[in-house]
Amino acid sequence: MSEESPRTGMAQSLLREIARALAALAETGACDAIDLRSLPLTGGDRADLETALGRGEVAATFDASGQSEVWETRHAGVWWVRHLGGDGRVAAETIEITPIPDILAAHPDDIRASAAALMAELAETTEETAHV
Amino acid sequence: MSDGNHPGGTIGEALLARGISRRSLLKYTGYLASILALPPMASRAMADALAKAPRQSVIWLSFQECTGCTESLTRSFNPTLEDMIFDLISLDYHETLMAVSGAAAEEAMQAARAANKGKYVLVVDGSVSTAEGGIYSTNAGKTNLATLKDMASDAAAVLSVGTCAAFGGIPHAKPNPTGAVPVSEIVTDKPVINIPGCPPIPEAIAGTVAYIITFGKLPDLDHLSRPKAFFGDSIHDRCYRRPFYDKGLFAKSFDDEGARNGWCLYEVGCKGPVTYNACATLKWNGGVSFPIQSGHGCLGCSEPDFWDRGGFYKPLSASVMGNPAIIGGAAVAGIVAGAASVALARKRRAEALAAQSKASAAAQEKMP
Ligand code: SF4
Repeated sequence: MSEESPRTGMAQSLLREIARALAALAETGACDAIDLRSLPLTGGDRADLETALGRGEVAATFDASGQSEVWETRHAGVWWVRHLGGDGRVAAETIEITPIPDILAAHPDDIRASAAALMAELAETTEETAHV
Repeated sequence: MSDGNHPGGTIGEALLARGISRRSLLKYTGYLASILALPPMASRAMADALAKAPRQSVIWLSFQECTGCTESLTRSFNPTLEDMIFDLISLDYHETLMAVSGAAAEEAMQAARAANKGKYVLVVDGSVSTAEGGIYSTNAGKTNLATLKDMASDAAAVLSVGTCAAFGGIPHAKPNPTGAVPVSEIVTDKPVINIPGCPPIPEAIAGTVAYIITFGKLPDLDHLSRPKAFFGDSIHDRCYRRPFYDKGLFAKSFDDEGARNGWCLYEVGCKGPVTYNACATLKWNGGVSFPIQSGHGCLGCSEPDFWDRGGFYKPLSASVMGNPAIIGGAAVAGIVAGAASVALARKRRAEALAAQSKASAAAQEKMP
């Protein structure tokens, strides 16, 4: 993110788009997302956007087929989601306007599967205890 | 492990068996949505659809080719997110990669075909020799021509991977001694998708296959049956040297001041203005660079007959991809000559629009 990198004004337009989407989330609960990778952002634009959005109190990193970083910006409901692919380069990068990004929430199918697994584990333990 | 409806199991089951989490899948669909230029919000629905979909059977045939296309897709630097394409497909037969050979390989191909009749995607790299009945390129005593006709008859769709399969490529270059033709000249009763490039960008191959599995239909295609998501813009449209082109700042040779300053490569032969591909955005070697970024003009390798379209180092205005008469005679006058060839490409594109939507609609109809 070099200081000399040119600015195209893209960061300002994106901020306006984010503001509109955030207003819609506040009013109707509609979630939205912006794909940063598909935009011709210069290093300078990206740096401006990161500075303008800032960092809030929540940040998460996890490793699922490569590192991922998710943080809430200083605007509640605006999240920066960055997924790294091979060799640590950015494979996908989005700004998500949502109460919580999908990637952080547990999926209903996984919740069902783990509920069943935990029940089975406990049943096994109970049976073992009964045999003691 | 299978739900009974899908004997080969679903993609979700296959991922679970390999200990790959749903977050990985969601991350992968986020990546796919981005390379396919789909709305980012589509990634959740794509992940849900993929988890329930059966793994797509793929049979891969190699004809008159150099194996660069297979290398492009399979050569990765380390196991990464991008490799998840191999969890989405079941690569049931691949002549170059499979361990068995001879009669055992033939049996494997027929077994894969019988098990997935009418459902498999046939991937072809390499052009098809037709001279003398196709005897210039044979495998297991059978001409490529006969194998293609035979295997395409039970396929759901055919993917012509690489410029050779898509447009004839280098074997098709003058004087074309083997009578090489593209796959689409032989297979006329099935949807044929072209993913040209010498080699094609791996994301374009993987993304197209992933699209078919996720949505159960073919992606939007251009007039040359190329997925618009990857071939919708010219290299020139997305080139980072474009501001120099617009200002009329050109390198005149590979070692002059312009070249050192990173100016536009139009005058040293760049074919970017008439070449449709995603090299400028997706780039190569894990997103490191692409030819123009490395200081060489685009060769136009994803366009038909790129090998025979004038010199690689002649400016477009002198060669115009094989039709010197169009702008011929006009001295390269920087931006003016450049604008003329871009206008030409645009015109070609506009003229193709009608044919384009027709081809796409026809291909969709043919998809079972
Ligand atoms: S002519 Fe080539 S180098 Fe110049 S802007 Fe176009 S694509 Fe880039």
